[in-house]
Amino acid sequence: MAGAKAVDAVYDVDPPRTEKMLRELLYSAYFVADHTTHFYALAGPDFVIGPDAPIVERNILGIIHKVGLEIGGKVILARKFGHNVIEMIGGKIIHPCTSIPGGLTKGITEEQRQEIEKMGHWAVELGHFSLKLFEDIVLKNSTYLDLILGDIYTHRTYYIGLVDENNKVNFYDGKVSVVDPEGNRLGKYAPKEYTDWIAEHVEPWTYLKFPYLKKVGWKGFVDGKESGVYIATPLSRLNAADGMATPRAPEEYEKFYKTLGGKPVHQRLATHWARLIELLYAAERWVELATDPEITSDNFRTIPTEKPTEGVGIVEAPRGTLTHHYWTDERGIATRVNLIVGTTNNYASLQMSTNKAARALIKGGKVNEGRLTDKGNPFKKLCIQIEKASLGGLSLMEKLIDADQTIIVDAIDTHQFPKGTVRIFKLKDLPDLNSGHTASIHDTSLANAIEVGRLICWNLINIFQAFVVYLPAKQSVLMLSNCAI
Amino acid sequence: MSSNGKPKIAFFDFTSCEGCQLTVIDSLQDHPELLNVVEIVQFREAMTEKGEDYQIAFVEGSCSRASDEPRLKKIRQQAAIVVALGACAHLGGVNALKALHPLDEVRKYVYGDKADWYETYDARPISAVIDVDYAIPGCPIDRNEFISVVKALLLGKKPPIPDYPLCVECKLKGNVCLYTKGQVCLGPVTRAGCGAICPSFGASCEACRGFITNPNDNSMREVLIEAGLTVEDITSIYTMFTTYQVREKIQQKG
Ligand code: SF4
Ligand code: SF4
Ligand code: SF4
Repeated sequence: MAGAKAVDAVYDVDPPRTEKMLRELLYSAYFVADHTTHFYALAGPDFVIGPDAPIVERNILGIIHKVGLEIGGKVILARKFGHNVIEMIGGKIIHPCTSIPGGLTKGITEEQRQEIEKMGHWAVELGHFSLKLFEDIVLKNSTYLDLILGDIYTHRTYYIGLVDENNKVNFYDGKVSVVDPEGNRLGKYAPKEYTDWIAEHVEPWTYLKFPYLKKVGWKGFVDGKESGVYIATPLSRLNAADGMATPRAPEEYEKFYKTLGGKPVHQRLATHWARLIELLYAAERWVELATDPEITSDNFRTIPTEKPTEGVGIVEAPRGTLTHHYWTDERGIATRVNLIVGTTNNYASLQMSTNKAARALIKGGKVNEGRLTDKGNPFKKLCIQIEKASLGGLSLMEKLIDADQTIIVDAIDTHQFPKGTVRIFKLKDLPDLNSGHTASIHDTSLANAIEVGRLICWNLINIFQAFVVYLPAKQSVLMLSNCAI
Repeated sequence: MSSNGKPKIAFFDFTSCEGCQLTVIDSLQDHPELLNVVEIVQFREAMTEKGEDYQIAFVEGSCSRASDEPRLKKIRQQAAIVVALGACAHLGGVNALKALHPLDEVRKYVYGDKADWYETYDARPISAVIDVDYAIPGCPIDRNEFISVVKALLLGKKPPIPDYPLCVECKLKGNVCLYTKGQVCLGPVTRAGCGAICPSFGASCEACRGFITNPNDNSMREVLIEAGLTVEDITSIYTMFTTYQVREKIQQKG
């Protein structure tokens, strides 16, 4: 969708109202399907079943078990209806194929409109139902409320989100509003101004970049007003806006801030609630658009007349603001592309949350089993191991458990010292504990992993130093560990 | 085979957008009966547990760095059947577009003066690294096709992937050919099976399912030239999903 808007911008063409509504309708249905899945199948189980329940029950089946079969059916239906609308307007569910410069290849018929409207009413009901479920199970339970309001998952960062001309939440169009950790609006930017606002920081241990607010600056993985770290999520969209524009969502929006003690809300666990409020908003918007008299009009494309050059498109994806920037030649063939995708916006904050939550939940060496996702049995005892693949900190740490002594010999290319230089590092010299991973998004640095391992009381006491050797070859990673058994 | 007699299957991802894995999850929602006859031992997109004992491996994503190769080879060693899932794994897909620019330029464009920190090479289909038994084409894969492929594999049959051009499906749907409306379309050389979705919605086919075994490239080129396209235009249309295949063709011809 951001791509479709970027292409319109490349051709400097403003599509007709019907087209904009059709795309927003497709998008609202997509939000309903995605938010429903996210809440019920991915994130909600921790809440509905209970964060201390055994891992095996914390899934969609656990939810069905707890609140009845009816819900499982609703989730599947929400996906089905959402997908039906996407297919009607976009042709394909994933990577819709109907957007062309200035509009769509096809409109919808009155018959399709009626069907879409009917599904929309059902989705509104689902929105109300989900918020009621959240209220009954979570808000009325003080343990949960304390968990949400508690400090464990709180980061005082900046928030961004797309808003309309009245500063109300909008998923499809408008400007991006940026608010500071105190809730003051720093400003709003139009898509083509994004480079004045957002810059990207890179770290050697991850392919993914860390976008941050250029005007504030990159200060590392820290929160606060001085740090340019921001988030773009359901929570941030509510924080960055002044309200919502559909009939019933505003009540829920107000209640959210009243319950959680005013704006902005920094507690990350409140994101689940924010997601459900957005679910209701999206469903209501779905019905509004499906009942607009112009939605079935044939005027769904403006033929571009300008030569294509460069353009930026921004929409809200379920997990964050999506920015697409394209440059093309005069035939409209892309020559350069820059994308900032939803979750990427939140990468720095995710690193901070994982670190903070691990420290809080793993106390005095005892892990609360219910709260940690099972990573398999880490108690591997190894004598000498030669690893050729790239390993993240967690996997490397697992291999060090119970060793009497560990020496890590690593060959890396730093571009600072001549190749072949041998240097000795203490553990504390290894990169920042808050830093991320080397091999996968779910991993972390060795120093951080060892810290976590020690908190869990795994026997990691004897790791005293790491020898880092700069060898001419880049590919070898050799790890030696003395026999423990 | 697991102790309950069900074949074990596993899903893996390399350089991809995860759209194909999401489609798998969607297909399984529509066909939960499949879960009664197989055991999924690894599927990062859907579950936490990880089993290393499997007979059928579905691989999403292209291979885009040398350090991916050992992981792919390990999968090949373990699995009796390896299936490429979607255009990235099957063709290299959009990732392979990178090959149209010098690799160093691409790295510098993305990571600036830190380009050297990152390992990468020209993205390629997994068949360029390991033997692949079957491919489920498409970007993303078709939900129903995924189910029929799994069913065929369980029955020990060859998966029913069509090997005729998209135009056949398009005609069966009664569509008016896009060429008559002044648009271009790769339907004549593209593998059918998606139900000709794009032309049915008025958009050109860009061959996300790859080419048929014996495409008539010469007549396709004539049609495109007749439609007023320059060689440059033709190259850009042909390289949306199939840069790797086009480059191979060019190399074969010298
Ligand atoms: S083939 Fe397409 S949908 Fe599938 S992973 Fe690749 S880019 Fe995504
Ligand atoms: S529109 Fe494309 S697929 Fe359909 S008949 Fe014409 S060339 Fe073939
Ligand atoms: S019509 Fe062509 S581009 Fe569209 S889904 Fe089918 S094979 Fe892919």
